[in-house]
Amino acid sequence: MQAKTNALSQGFIRCDDCGFLVKTGNHSLSCPRCNSHLHARHPHSLQRTSALLFSSFLLYIPANIFPIMTVNQFGAGDPHTIAGGIVELIDSGMIPIGLLVLVASILVPSSKLIGIGLLLLCTHFRWQINARRWTVMYRIIAFVGRWSMLDIFMISILVDLVNFGEVQIIAGPAATAFAAVVILTMFAAENFDPRLLWDNQKNL
Amino acid sequence: MNSTNYDACPECDLLLKPAQLKIGEKAHCPRCGLLLSRPRKQSIERTFALSITGFILFFPSVLLPMMGITVLGDANTGTLLSGVIALFNENMWPVAIVVFLASIMFPLVHISLSLLISGHLYFKRSNRYLVTWMRWMYHLDEWIMLEVYMLGIIVACVKLMAIAPLKFGWGLYAFIALIIITTLLTSNLDNRLFWQRIEQLRKENNNAS
Repeated sequence: MQAKTNALSQGFIRCDDCGFLVKTGNHSLSCPRCNSHLHARHPHSLQRTSALLFSSFLLYIPANIFPIMTVNQFGAGDPHTIAGGIVELIDSGMIPIGLLVLVASILVPSSKLIGIGLLLLCTHFRWQINARRWTVMYRIIAFVGRWSMLDIFMISILVDLVNFGEVQIIAGPAATAFAAVVILTMFAAENFDPRLLWDNQKNL
Repeated sequence: MNSTNYDACPECDLLLKPAQLKIGEKAHCPRCGLLLSRPRKQSIERTFALSITGFILFFPSVLLPMMGITVLGDANTGTLLSGVIALFNENMWPVAIVVFLASIMFPLVHISLSLLISGHLYFKRSNRYLVTWMRWMYHLDEWIMLEVYMLGIIVACVKLMAIAPLKFGWGLYAFIALIIITTLLTSNLDNRLFWQRIEQLRKENNNAS
Protein backbone atom coordinates (compact mmCIF):
# COMPACT_ATOMS: atom_id res chain seq x y z
CA MET A 1 0.00 0.00 0.00
CA GLN A 2 1.54 3.25 -1.08
CA ALA A 3 1.11 6.50 0.84
CA LYS A 4 -1.83 8.61 -0.24
CA THR A 5 -0.56 11.27 -2.61
CA ASN A 6 -2.15 13.90 -4.79
CA ALA A 7 -1.81 13.26 -8.49
CA LEU A 8 -0.56 16.81 -8.99
CA SER A 9 2.32 16.39 -6.53
CA GLN A 10 3.44 13.37 -8.58
CA GLY A 11 3.31 15.42 -11.76
CA PHE A 12 -0.01 14.24 -13.15
CA ILE A 13 -2.96 16.31 -14.34
CA ARG A 14 -6.38 14.76 -14.78
CA CYS A 15 -8.33 16.02 -17.77
CA ASP A 16 -11.55 17.63 -16.51
CA ASP A 17 -13.56 16.52 -19.53
CA CYS A 18 -12.56 12.93 -20.19
CA GLY A 19 -10.64 11.86 -17.08
CA PHE A 20 -7.41 11.08 -18.94
CA LEU A 21 -4.32 11.31 -16.73
CA VAL A 22 -1.44 13.23 -18.30
CA LYS A 23 2.17 13.64 -17.15
CA THR A 24 2.84 17.35 -16.86
CA GLY A 25 6.52 17.34 -17.78
CA ASN A 26 6.17 18.07 -21.47
CA HIS A 27 4.12 21.28 -20.99
CA SER A 28 1.40 20.24 -23.39
CA LEU A 29 -1.65 22.23 -22.47
CA SER A 30 -4.31 20.17 -24.18
CA CYS A 31 -5.48 16.65 -23.45
CA PRO A 32 -4.10 14.07 -25.90
CA ARG A 33 -7.37 12.15 -25.84
CA CYS A 34 -10.10 14.78 -26.01
CA ASN A 35 -8.20 17.96 -26.92
CA SER A 36 -9.67 20.07 -24.14
CA HIS A 37 -7.49 22.48 -22.18
CA LEU A 38 -5.74 20.88 -19.25
CA HIS A 39 -5.88 22.53 -15.86
CA ALA A 40 -4.49 21.07 -12.66
CA ARG A 41 -7.20 22.99 -10.78
CA HIS A 42 -10.11 24.95 -12.20
CA PRO A 43 -8.65 28.28 -13.41
CA HIS A 44 -9.35 31.24 -11.10
CA SER A 45 -11.69 29.01 -9.13
CA LEU A 46 -11.95 31.23 -6.06
CA GLN A 47 -12.33 34.52 -7.95
CA ARG A 48 -14.97 33.20 -10.31
CA THR A 49 -16.92 31.41 -7.61
CA SER A 50 -16.96 34.43 -5.32
CA ALA A 51 -18.01 36.78 -8.14
CA LEU A 52 -20.89 34.48 -9.09
CA LEU A 53 -21.84 33.99 -5.47
CA PHE A 54 -21.87 37.73 -4.79
CA SER A 55 -24.11 38.45 -7.79
CA SER A 56 -26.54 35.72 -6.83
CA PHE A 57 -26.61 37.02 -3.27
CA LEU A 58 -27.59 40.48 -4.55
CA LEU A 59 -30.28 39.03 -6.83
CA TYR A 60 -31.64 36.91 -4.01
CA ILE A 61 -33.00 40.08 -2.35
CA PRO A 62 -35.37 41.19 -5.19
CA ALA A 63 -36.26 37.53 -5.74
CA ASN A 64 -37.77 37.40 -2.27
CA ILE A 65 -39.20 40.92 -2.00
CA PHE A 66 -41.03 41.30 -5.33
CA PRO A 67 -44.07 39.25 -6.33
CA ILE A 68 -43.24 36.08 -8.27
CA MET A 69 -46.74 35.97 -9.76
CA THR A 70 -50.00 37.88 -9.72
CA VAL A 71 -53.41 36.23 -9.80
CA ASN A 72 -55.72 38.55 -11.69
CA GLN A 73 -59.38 37.87 -11.02
CA PHE A 74 -61.95 40.08 -12.74
CA GLY A 75 -59.60 43.04 -12.78
CA ALA A 76 -58.43 42.76 -9.16
CA GLY A 77 -54.80 41.72 -8.85
CA ASP A 78 -53.42 39.61 -6.01
CA PRO A 79 -49.60 39.57 -6.00
CA HIS A 80 -47.75 36.65 -4.42
CA THR A 81 -44.18 36.54 -3.22
CA ILE A 82 -42.32 33.22 -2.97
CA ALA A 83 -43.01 33.03 0.76
CA GLY A 84 -46.63 34.11 0.26
CA GLY A 85 -47.25 31.25 -2.17
CA ILE A 86 -45.96 28.74 0.37
CA VAL A 87 -48.08 30.18 3.18
CA GLU A 88 -51.12 29.96 0.93
CA LEU A 89 -50.43 26.31 0.08
CA ILE A 90 -50.03 25.39 3.73
CA ASP A 91 -53.12 27.40 4.75
CA SER A 92 -55.26 25.56 2.23
CA GLY A 93 -54.20 22.22 3.69
CA MET A 94 -51.61 21.20 1.05
CA ILE A 95 -48.94 20.69 3.67
CA PRO A 96 -46.66 18.20 1.86
CA ILE A 97 -46.64 20.28 -1.34
CA GLY A 98 -46.15 23.45 0.69
CA LEU A 99 -43.15 21.91 2.42
CA LEU A 100 -41.77 20.73 -0.93
CA VAL A 101 -41.92 24.26 -2.33
CA LEU A 102 -40.48 25.63 0.92
CA VAL A 103 -37.48 23.29 0.61
CA ALA A 104 -36.95 23.86 -3.12
CA SER A 105 -37.36 27.62 -3.28
CA ILE A 106 -36.27 28.94 0.11
CA LEU A 107 -34.19 26.42 2.06
CA VAL A 108 -32.15 25.10 -0.88
CA PRO A 109 -31.16 28.48 -2.39
CA SER A 110 -30.32 30.11 0.94
CA SER A 111 -28.34 27.14 2.26
CA LYS A 112 -26.55 27.00 -1.08
CA LEU A 113 -25.50 30.63 -0.76
CA ILE A 114 -24.23 30.00 2.77
CA GLY A 115 -22.62 26.66 1.84
CA ILE A 116 -20.66 27.98 -1.13
CA GLY A 117 -19.67 30.98 1.00
CA LEU A 118 -18.30 28.64 3.68
CA LEU A 119 -16.39 26.59 1.09
CA LEU A 120 -14.81 29.78 -0.23
CA LEU A 121 -13.83 30.99 3.25
CA CYS A 122 -12.44 27.57 4.06
CA THR A 123 -10.17 27.47 1.00
CA HIS A 124 -9.17 31.10 1.27
CA PHE A 125 -8.15 30.96 4.94
CA ARG A 126 -6.80 27.40 4.67
CA TRP A 127 -8.89 26.14 7.55
CA GLN A 128 -7.85 22.70 8.78
CA ILE A 129 -11.11 20.78 8.45
CA ASN A 130 -12.41 17.29 7.89
CA ALA A 131 -11.96 17.48 4.12
CA ARG A 132 -14.08 14.42 3.46
CA ARG A 133 -17.09 15.92 5.22
CA TRP A 134 -16.68 19.21 3.35
CA THR A 135 -16.38 17.41 0.02
CA VAL A 136 -19.67 15.67 0.77
CA MET A 137 -21.19 19.08 1.49
CA TYR A 138 -19.91 20.34 -1.85
CA ARG A 139 -21.39 17.31 -3.58
CA ILE A 140 -24.80 17.93 -2.02
CA ILE A 141 -24.69 21.61 -3.01
CA ALA A 142 -23.81 20.74 -6.60
CA PHE A 143 -26.52 18.07 -6.81
CA VAL A 144 -29.35 19.98 -5.24
CA GLY A 145 -29.03 23.24 -7.20
CA ARG A 146 -31.20 22.38 -10.18
CA TRP A 147 -34.21 21.47 -8.04
CA SER A 148 -34.79 25.14 -7.20
CA MET A 149 -36.01 25.66 -10.76
CA LEU A 150 -39.24 24.03 -9.59
CA ASP A 151 -40.95 27.37 -8.95
CA ILE A 152 -39.97 28.76 -12.34
CA PHE A 153 -41.35 25.73 -14.19
CA MET A 154 -44.54 25.88 -12.13
CA ILE A 155 -45.02 29.52 -13.15
CA SER A 156 -44.53 28.72 -16.83
CA ILE A 157 -47.31 26.11 -16.56
CA LEU A 158 -49.68 28.35 -14.57
CA VAL A 159 -49.18 31.40 -16.80
CA ASP A 160 -49.96 29.28 -19.83
CA LEU A 161 -53.03 27.45 -18.48
CA VAL A 162 -54.74 30.17 -16.46
CA ASN A 163 -55.44 32.75 -19.13
CA PHE A 164 -59.15 33.24 -19.63
CA GLY A 165 -59.54 36.99 -20.02
CA GLU A 166 -61.20 37.58 -16.65
CA VAL A 167 -58.97 35.18 -14.73
CA GLN A 168 -55.24 35.39 -15.40
CA ILE A 169 -51.94 34.51 -13.79
CA ILE A 170 -49.13 36.91 -14.65
CA ALA A 171 -45.46 36.23 -13.90
CA GLY A 172 -43.85 38.85 -11.66
CA PRO A 173 -40.40 40.46 -11.67
CA ALA A 174 -39.15 38.14 -8.91
CA ALA A 175 -39.31 35.21 -11.37
CA THR A 176 -36.47 36.66 -13.45
CA ALA A 177 -34.37 37.39 -10.37
CA PHE A 178 -35.02 33.95 -8.92
CA ALA A 179 -34.15 32.14 -12.16
CA ALA A 180 -30.92 34.15 -12.28
CA VAL A 181 -30.11 33.16 -8.68
CA VAL A 182 -30.53 29.47 -9.52
CA ILE A 183 -28.43 29.66 -12.68
CA LEU A 184 -25.68 31.74 -11.06
CA THR A 185 -25.39 29.47 -8.02
CA MET A 186 -25.19 26.46 -10.36
CA PHE A 187 -22.32 28.15 -12.19
CA ALA A 188 -20.72 29.04 -8.85
CA ALA A 189 -20.84 25.41 -7.71
CA GLU A 190 -19.44 24.29 -11.05
CA ASN A 191 -16.53 26.72 -10.84
CA PHE A 192 -15.57 25.78 -7.31
CA ASP A 193 -12.84 23.14 -7.27
CA PRO A 194 -13.23 20.71 -4.32
CA ARG A 195 -9.60 19.63 -4.77
CA LEU A 196 -8.58 22.96 -3.25
CA LEU A 197 -10.09 21.77 0.04
CA TRP A 198 -7.70 18.81 -0.01
CA ASP A 199 -4.69 20.81 -1.17
CA ASN A 200 -4.87 22.99 1.92
CA GLN A 201 -4.77 20.18 4.44
CA LYS A 202 -1.32 19.87 6.04
CA ASN A 203 -1.50 16.37 7.45
CA LEU A 204 -3.16 13.97 5.08
CA MET B 1 1.25 9.75 -25.69
CA ASN B 2 1.51 9.81 -21.94
CA SER B 3 -0.77 6.94 -21.16
CA THR B 4 -0.23 5.85 -17.56
CA ASN B 5 -1.34 3.03 -15.34
CA TYR B 6 -2.66 5.51 -12.83
CA ASP B 7 -5.87 7.34 -12.36
CA ALA B 8 -6.86 10.35 -10.24
CA CYS B 9 -9.97 11.10 -8.23
CA PRO B 10 -11.77 14.06 -9.85
CA GLU B 11 -12.79 15.58 -6.50
CA CYS B 12 -9.80 15.09 -4.21
CA ASP B 13 -7.00 14.42 -6.73
CA LEU B 14 -5.84 11.23 -5.01
CA LEU B 15 -3.50 9.22 -7.20
CA LEU B 16 -4.98 5.76 -7.67
CA LYS B 17 -4.29 2.45 -9.29
CA PRO B 18 -7.50 1.79 -11.22
CA ALA B 19 -9.24 -1.43 -10.22
CA GLN B 20 -10.31 -3.93 -12.83
CA LEU B 21 -14.01 -4.04 -12.07
CA LYS B 22 -16.52 -6.68 -13.03
CA ILE B 23 -20.07 -5.74 -13.97
CA GLY B 24 -22.09 -5.01 -10.86
CA GLU B 25 -19.11 -3.83 -8.83
CA LYS B 26 -18.50 -0.24 -7.82
CA ALA B 27 -15.27 1.63 -7.16
CA HIS B 28 -15.25 4.44 -4.61
CA CYS B 29 -12.40 6.83 -3.92
CA PRO B 30 -10.81 5.61 -0.66
CA ARG B 31 -10.16 9.16 0.50
CA CYS B 32 -13.25 11.21 -0.34
CA GLY B 33 -15.73 8.45 -1.09
CA LEU B 34 -16.71 9.59 -4.60
CA LEU B 35 -18.17 6.93 -6.87
CA LEU B 36 -15.37 6.51 -9.41
CA SER B 37 -16.73 3.92 -11.76
CA ARG B 38 -19.51 1.46 -12.05
CA PRO B 39 -19.36 -0.65 -15.19
CA ARG B 40 -22.75 -1.43 -16.66
CA LYS B 41 -23.85 -4.46 -18.61
CA GLN B 42 -23.96 -3.85 -22.39
CA SER B 43 -23.54 -0.14 -21.83
CA ILE B 44 -23.19 0.77 -25.51
CA GLU B 45 -26.07 -1.38 -26.75
CA ARG B 46 -28.41 -0.18 -24.02
CA THR B 47 -27.47 3.46 -24.46
CA PHE B 48 -28.12 3.12 -28.19
CA ALA B 49 -31.52 1.49 -27.66
CA LEU B 50 -32.57 3.97 -24.96
CA SER B 51 -31.51 6.99 -27.01
CA ILE B 52 -33.61 5.81 -29.96
CA THR B 53 -36.61 5.40 -27.66
CA GLY B 54 -36.00 8.77 -26.01
CA PHE B 55 -35.61 10.51 -29.34
CA ILE B 56 -38.94 9.12 -30.56
CA LEU B 57 -40.72 9.96 -27.29
CA PHE B 58 -39.39 13.48 -27.30
CA PHE B 59 -41.70 14.83 -29.98
CA PRO B 60 -45.08 13.77 -28.53
CA SER B 61 -44.02 14.98 -25.10
CA VAL B 62 -43.16 18.45 -26.37
CA LEU B 63 -45.96 18.87 -28.90
CA LEU B 64 -48.99 17.07 -27.47
CA PRO B 65 -51.08 18.80 -24.77
CA MET B 66 -50.07 17.76 -21.26
CA MET B 67 -53.07 19.02 -19.37
CA GLY B 68 -56.21 21.06 -19.75
CA ILE B 69 -58.37 23.20 -17.50
CA THR B 70 -61.89 24.60 -17.93
CA VAL B 71 -62.94 27.86 -16.25
CA LEU B 72 -66.40 29.40 -16.81
CA GLY B 73 -66.92 27.28 -19.91
CA ASP B 74 -63.61 28.28 -21.56
CA ALA B 75 -61.07 25.49 -22.00
CA ASN B 76 -57.27 25.85 -22.11
CA THR B 77 -54.64 23.19 -22.77
CA GLY B 78 -50.92 23.51 -22.27
CA THR B 79 -47.82 21.89 -23.78
CA LEU B 80 -44.17 22.24 -22.83
CA LEU B 81 -43.71 24.67 -25.71
CA SER B 82 -46.84 26.76 -25.07
CA GLY B 83 -45.62 27.46 -21.52
CA VAL B 84 -42.46 28.97 -22.99
CA ILE B 85 -44.50 30.99 -25.49
CA ALA B 86 -46.83 32.28 -22.75
CA LEU B 87 -43.83 33.58 -20.80
CA PHE B 88 -42.51 35.22 -23.96
CA ASN B 89 -45.84 36.98 -24.52
CA GLU B 90 -45.67 38.45 -21.04
CA ASN B 91 -42.25 39.96 -21.81
CA MET B 92 -40.55 37.52 -19.44
CA TRP B 93 -38.12 36.49 -22.15
CA PRO B 94 -35.10 35.79 -19.88
CA VAL B 95 -37.19 33.29 -17.92
CA ALA B 96 -38.71 31.94 -21.13
CA ILE B 97 -35.25 31.28 -22.55
CA VAL B 98 -34.12 29.50 -19.37
CA VAL B 99 -37.23 27.30 -19.32
CA PHE B 100 -36.86 26.57 -23.03
CA LEU B 101 -33.21 25.57 -22.67
CA ALA B 102 -33.61 23.44 -19.54
CA SER B 103 -36.79 21.64 -20.50
CA ILE B 104 -36.64 21.35 -24.30
CA MET B 105 -33.37 22.34 -25.96
CA PHE B 106 -30.78 20.70 -23.71
CA PRO B 107 -32.67 17.41 -23.29
CA LEU B 108 -33.10 17.19 -27.08
CA VAL B 109 -29.42 17.93 -27.73
CA HIS B 110 -28.38 15.45 -25.03
CA ILE B 111 -30.49 12.63 -26.46
CA SER B 112 -29.33 13.38 -30.01
CA LEU B 113 -25.69 13.37 -28.93
CA SER B 114 -25.99 10.11 -27.03
CA LEU B 115 -27.79 8.62 -30.04
CA LEU B 116 -24.98 9.74 -32.35
CA ILE B 117 -22.18 8.60 -30.04
CA SER B 118 -23.61 5.23 -29.09
CA GLY B 119 -24.63 4.62 -32.71
CA HIS B 120 -21.10 5.26 -33.92
CA LEU B 121 -19.65 3.05 -31.19
CA TYR B 122 -22.22 0.30 -31.80
CA PHE B 123 -21.45 0.10 -35.52
CA LYS B 124 -17.72 0.73 -34.84
CA ARG B 125 -17.66 3.76 -37.12
CA SER B 126 -15.08 6.38 -36.43
CA ASN B 127 -15.90 10.05 -36.67
CA ARG B 128 -13.65 12.97 -35.91
CA TYR B 129 -16.46 14.74 -34.03
CA LEU B 130 -16.97 11.89 -31.55
CA VAL B 131 -14.65 13.56 -29.03
CA THR B 132 -16.42 16.91 -29.30
CA TRP B 133 -19.86 15.33 -28.96
CA MET B 134 -18.75 13.39 -25.94
CA ARG B 135 -17.46 16.55 -24.25
CA TRP B 136 -20.65 18.47 -24.98
CA MET B 137 -22.76 15.65 -23.63
CA TYR B 138 -20.72 15.60 -20.44
CA HIS B 139 -21.13 19.33 -19.87
CA LEU B 140 -24.86 19.34 -20.65
CA ASP B 141 -25.68 16.73 -18.06
CA GLU B 142 -26.37 19.12 -15.19
CA TRP B 143 -28.59 21.46 -17.21
CA ILE B 144 -31.25 18.94 -18.11
CA MET B 145 -34.14 19.53 -15.75
CA LEU B 146 -36.92 17.23 -16.94
CA GLU B 147 -37.48 15.69 -13.52
CA VAL B 148 -37.57 19.14 -11.92
CA TYR B 149 -40.18 20.13 -14.51
CA MET B 150 -42.22 17.10 -13.47
CA LEU B 151 -42.20 18.35 -9.89
CA GLY B 152 -43.29 21.77 -11.23
CA ILE B 153 -46.24 20.05 -12.97
CA ILE B 154 -47.25 18.37 -9.70
CA VAL B 155 -47.17 21.65 -7.74
CA ALA B 156 -49.05 23.46 -10.52
CA CYS B 157 -51.70 20.71 -10.50
CA VAL B 158 -52.24 21.12 -6.77
CA LYS B 159 -52.64 24.88 -7.18
CA LEU B 160 -54.99 24.52 -10.15
CA MET B 161 -57.20 21.92 -8.50
CA ALA B 162 -58.40 24.69 -6.21
CA ILE B 163 -59.61 26.68 -9.22
CA ALA B 164 -61.11 24.09 -11.57
CA PRO B 165 -61.03 20.39 -12.51
CA LEU B 166 -58.03 19.24 -14.54
CA LYS B 167 -57.73 16.91 -17.52
CA PHE B 168 -54.52 15.12 -18.45
CA GLY B 169 -53.42 14.52 -22.03
CA TRP B 170 -51.11 12.17 -23.93
CA GLY B 171 -48.32 14.72 -23.78
CA LEU B 172 -48.03 14.17 -20.03
CA TYR B 173 -47.84 10.38 -20.38
CA ALA B 174 -45.19 10.69 -23.08
CA PHE B 175 -43.32 13.14 -20.85
CA ILE B 176 -43.33 10.74 -17.89
CA ALA B 177 -42.05 7.97 -20.16
CA LEU B 178 -39.35 10.33 -21.44
CA ILE B 179 -38.18 11.05 -17.88
CA ILE B 180 -37.92 7.32 -17.15
CA ILE B 181 -35.94 6.79 -20.37
CA THR B 182 -33.52 9.67 -19.72
CA THR B 183 -32.93 8.45 -16.15
CA LEU B 184 -32.15 4.95 -17.43
CA LEU B 185 -29.97 6.51 -20.10
CA THR B 186 -27.74 8.40 -17.68
CA SER B 187 -27.45 5.42 -15.34
CA ASN B 188 -26.50 3.04 -18.16
CA LEU B 189 -23.99 5.31 -19.84
CA ASP B 190 -20.51 4.28 -18.77
CA ASN B 191 -18.33 7.34 -19.39
CA ARG B 192 -15.05 5.52 -18.91
CA LEU B 193 -15.96 2.74 -21.35
CA PHE B 194 -17.17 5.26 -23.93
CA TRP B 195 -13.91 7.22 -23.80
CA GLN B 196 -11.87 4.00 -24.06
CA ARG B 197 -13.84 2.88 -27.10
CA ILE B 198 -13.53 6.28 -28.75
CA GLU B 199 -9.78 6.20 -28.29
CA GLN B 200 -9.61 2.63 -29.58
CA LEU B 201 -11.61 3.55 -32.69
CA ARG B 202 -9.32 6.47 -33.38
CA LYS B 203 -6.20 4.34 -33.06
CA GLU B 204 -7.59 1.70 -35.42
CA ASN B 205 -8.49 4.43 -37.86
CA ASN B 206 -4.99 5.91 -37.71
CA ASN B 207 -3.42 2.49 -38.30
CA ALA B 208 -5.69 1.82 -41.27
CA SER B 209 -4.92 5.10 -43.03
